Order: sequence, then structure tokens, then C-alpha cells
Amino acid sequence: MKWLKFALYNVFRNRRRALTTILILSVGTSGILIGGGFADFTYESLREMAARDNGHLILAHQHYFDRQESSTLEFGLKNYQNISDELADQPGIRAVLPKLAFSGLISNGDQTTVFVGQGVNPEEFRVKGPFLNVTQGSVLSKVNKHRDPAVMIGDGLARILNAQVGSNLTLLSTTVEGSLNAIDVVVDGVFTTGVSEVDERILMVELNAAQSLLLTDKVSTVSVYLRNTIETEQFKSIVSSKLPQLAIQTWLDQAYYYRSVKGIYNRIFGILGIIILLMVFFAVVNTVSMTIVERTREIGTLRAMGTHRYEIVRNFLLESSIIAVASLIPAVVISVATSIFCSLAEIQMPPPPARSQGYPLGINIDPVLYSVVCLAVLLTCIAATWFISRRAAGTPIIKALTHV
Amino acid sequence: MTNTVQLRNISKKFVSGTTTIDALADVNLDIEKNTLVALQGISGSGKSTLLNICGLLDHADSGFYYLDGMNVNELSSYECTELRRTAIGFVFQSFNLVPVMNVYENVEYPLLLTKESRTKRKEQVNSVIERVGLEKYLKYRPDQLSGGQRQRVAIARALVKQPQIIIADEPTANLDSETAQQIIKLLQSLTKERLATILIATHDDIITHYCDRIVRLKDGVIK
Repeated sequence: MKWLKFALYNVFRNRRRALTTILILSVGTSGILIGGGFADFTYESLREMAARDNGHLILAHQHYFDRQESSTLEFGLKNYQNISDELADQPGIRAVLPKLAFSGLISNGDQTTVFVGQGVNPEEFRVKGPFLNVTQGSVLSKVNKHRDPAVMIGDGLARILNAQVGSNLTLLSTTVEGSLNAIDVVVDGVFTTGVSEVDERILMVELNAAQSLLLTDKVSTVSVYLRNTIETEQFKSIVSSKLPQLAIQTWLDQAYYYRSVKGIYNRIFGILGIIILLMVFFAVVNTVSMTIVERTREIGTLRAMGTHRYEIVRNFLLESSIIAVASLIPAVVISVATSIFCSLAEIQMPPPPARSQGYPLGINIDPVLYSVVCLAVLLTCIAATWFISRRAAGTPIIKALTHV
Repeated sequence: MTNTVQLRNISKKFVSGTTTIDALADVNLDIEKNTLVALQGISGSGKSTLLNICGLLDHADSGFYYLDGMNVNELSSYECTELRRTAIGFVFQSFNLVPVMNVYENVEYPLLLTKESRTKRKEQVNSVIERVGLEKYLKYRPDQLSGGQRQRVAIARALVKQPQIIIADEPTANLDSETAQQIIKLLQSLTKERLATILIATHDDIITHYCDRIVRLKDGVIK
């Protein structure tokens, strides 16, 4: 305790310098925590978006993912209800929902364009939750209030076809037998994926309607929605053991956007983090160097009295640890306050590249991130101090005692 | 009487560029226990070099140094530090007190190194502070004390671990003559009370009057 007390005395020997160092370290650490929290929030949002879009696990025919179909639904799944039944006893599974991917032409009578469609179970909209951005109307429901099947279309497609909620449209596609078939649909809702190119093509229709258009009872894939995304790999093993005849991909396998954003952000924030840690390192080196120059004679005196070199270094390490802790406390407070402010202020970020929509600015408060960053800053301070003070402690005593 | 310090044929050279200076040449010196010995000489005579060797702050190039019968030539740097910690006290010309510590803490510091118990530390520190007459200034920082008081603190700090020898390098040089006399009288009384053996380097002739013995150095040789 005595050594800690002396270290405290020494830290506040030059208050202005100590406070400047604490300020630099606090701002730097807050920068890392806020940047890291923002990256973490972005990863989490994109992860959930990807998982809610296609499901945490995507089950398909064993050749579905690695071969090209020569005819519509050649690798489709029959009796998909059996898959749901097989997985019904798993409490970690929230829903098992079929999907039918198809494409064709969509027309309002005057204009015709290409669409990429999905036949979905209306239950899917419940598991998607806030991750589907409906701009007009509503999502598909189990009870269809129209005479014709309901459809949701992307807002770009709605603009091309001049369609709105209640508009009648016609879908034309190739059946599993290779012939053409058409059905009339009514627009129930307009949505956006945030990617304008996708919004100009995408639509979602009830599964039964899609199957009747393609004249099939098959589906393309079955999506398994989990209660907890981090259990994805665990459930992949469970599902593959229960259904070995199926090919399984996880949300991560299909989340190209998530992977590329994470790759870029990891590099950007990683480099920023390294730069800030270097800044911390040099700030501490500068402070300790100045301290050592001022206290060289004192170091000589303490060494003459029988203080070992390692004890001199230990004293400086205690001092820099105090500075580190004193700077980490406000850094954590600033970061947490900024996170809370951002969540309350609902600040919107501009749309990222290739996206048409912005997203809310969020900064996660992740205990693991906070622990790792605080430890990294503390270790950086210790490393910087050790680097400088071990040389000072090694100065010959006579030279140190005659230092002016 | 036993000798605390025995120097035999101590030599030390300093090389500066192409010039070699004999700082000490074949010095032989015995210092008896509980005596106050003055080391006198002009600048460059080798006083400081001899003090540094006696204080284990420097090594001789040749010769032998026995401290209380122990040959210290063979000690490693770590062992020298350990010996300074327990057996050698220092009093410096500029006092060299730690400015952030108060009087009590400055005097206590050497005992913290020897890991004495808190009770024993308190007892020893209070005893030496009382001995140098600063018991009213325990909580004072060095910058709140006069030069003479600071040097008293430095003496208490050197004395507190009951060393075999106290090395004092010009301890009165920064003090007025009256205070200098008080300090030298204090040092003299410590040896009279058989509390310390003191080797003191000084220019001051008045100081030497209080010493048991005067060793004069000239060009690295004892005259």
C-alpha cells in the first residue's frame, strides 16, 4: 500500500501533465470503445437481418447449392411438412418455414418487367419482425381479404409498374413441366430491402399461389429460424444428424453483404484501434520520459539507498497503471453515455454504398469489448512505461546523481 | 578498535578521449568503527571517487575493499545494491530528499526496502527523527523546511537503518556556516554515541575541526 501511495504522490507531482495524459488516454480509449461499439452494432444488425431474411439454417435438396437446375424445381423438396415435424421437438427452433424461389414476368396490363419472387408462408413475416421495411400497405396474412392471391412488391417494382396497394397485377412464369402459366394477384404491401436494384425486381407471394403458378407442390428450400443466432452451428449439427439426406447452409454462408461489411469494418476499425493504441503508447512514453528526466537525480538517490532496478521500474509501472485506470474510468463513462445518447436521439446514418436507405446509428455496450479494450490500453501503458523506465533504472548511479 | 572500512591498493582510472586520469592511485585506508573521518582535498583530488567506491556506487579498477571484514570486490551488482540497502547510508550535498514524501516518509523509505514490520518501522523512524530534533515536523514536506532541517532529515534517513558506514558528500556545502556547524556537531555526536561511522568529504576547514581524523587527498594519493 505504501508503494501505491508513493505512486499516487508522484502521479500528482505534475498535475497538469498527468491530467493531459489522462485526457489523451480517455479520448483515445473512448474512440476505440465507441468505434468498436458501432462496428459491433452494425455486425449484429446485419447478422440478424441476414438470419431473419433467409433463416438461420437453409435446408435444401442435396444438390440444390452446388448444381444448376436444368428445369424448374428439379432440386425442389417434396413433403416439406415432414421436415417441420422432424424438428418440432427442438425448443431452440422458433419456426420452420418453406420457401419457393421463382422468377418470371410481372405486368400491370400496360407495362411488363422481370421479377424475382419468393413464395412464402405468411408466418415468415412474424419471424422477420422489424427487419422487413414495409413502406405501404401491410405484410401478407393468413386470411386473404381479396379474391385473387395477395402479393408484396419491392418499391422499385411498384414505381416501374405504377402500382400501389390494391393494384391488380399478373404474374407469368414457367411451370415445372416447362409450360407458361399466369395468375392474377393483388398488391397487399410495398416494401424495400434497402438495395434499389433488388427493390426493382423483388416480390413475395403466398406459397400456395406460387405453387399454383408453377403447378407444383414442391418448395425450393426450408428455412429454420432459431431463437438465438449464436446457436446456429450447434443446430446445424443437430439438424444434419436428423436429416442427413438434405444439404444445409447457415445464414453466414449466404450473408455476402454481412461478410464484406465485416471484412471492411474489421480493417478500418482495426487500423484505427492500432493508431489510437500507438497514440496512447507515445503519450505515455512522452509523459514518463519527461518524468524521468526530472527525476533522474531522485532515481540515483533511491538506487544509492539500495533500491533495485526492478523496484524503480515497478514504481513507474504503478504510476502509469494509476494514470491508465484514471483515464479508463472517464473513457468508459463517456462511451456508455454516448451509446445511450445515440439510442435515445435516434440519429440516422446515411445509406451505405449500394444501398438506398440509411439506418439508425447504434453503439453497442459490449462487456467483452470494453474489457479487451481497457486491458489493451492498460497493457500499452505498462509496455510504454517499462520500455522507458528500465533504461532509466539502468543509468549508472553516479551519472544519475550528478544529473542536472 | 575494529576497522569498518579497509581499503588496500585501490586504484581507479578515468579515460577521457586519449587522456587517462589517475583518479586514485594505490590508496590504502582504514576507518575505525564509530569515528568521524574527513576526506579533504581540492576539486579533482579524488575525494568523490573514493566516496563512491566506499559507498559501493563505483568499483575500483584494482585493489581490495573490505566492509566490516567482507570483501566487496567479489559482489555482483545485485549484491552491492542489497549491501547498500542495509549497510551504507548516504548524505548528499543537495539533501536529495524525495519532494513528494513528508519527513516521516523520507526517513521511513530505507526501512520499506528492508521490509521491516510497520511497528518496528514506526519505532525506529520516530527514534531517529527525535534524535535529529525534527519530531515537530513529521508531516512537513522538504520544501517546507529550511536547508539545515532538510539535511537533518537526510541524516535521519541515512541513520535509520543503523548502517555500518554513512557516506556524506559535502553535507554542509549548501548551508550557512552556523547551520553547517550544527550539522557537523550532530554528525560528531552520532559517532560519539557509537551510533555511526561517518566518512565525510569536505572543502571546509572548520568542519575538519570536529572530525576524529582527517585524510588529505591530492592527485588521487593520500598525503
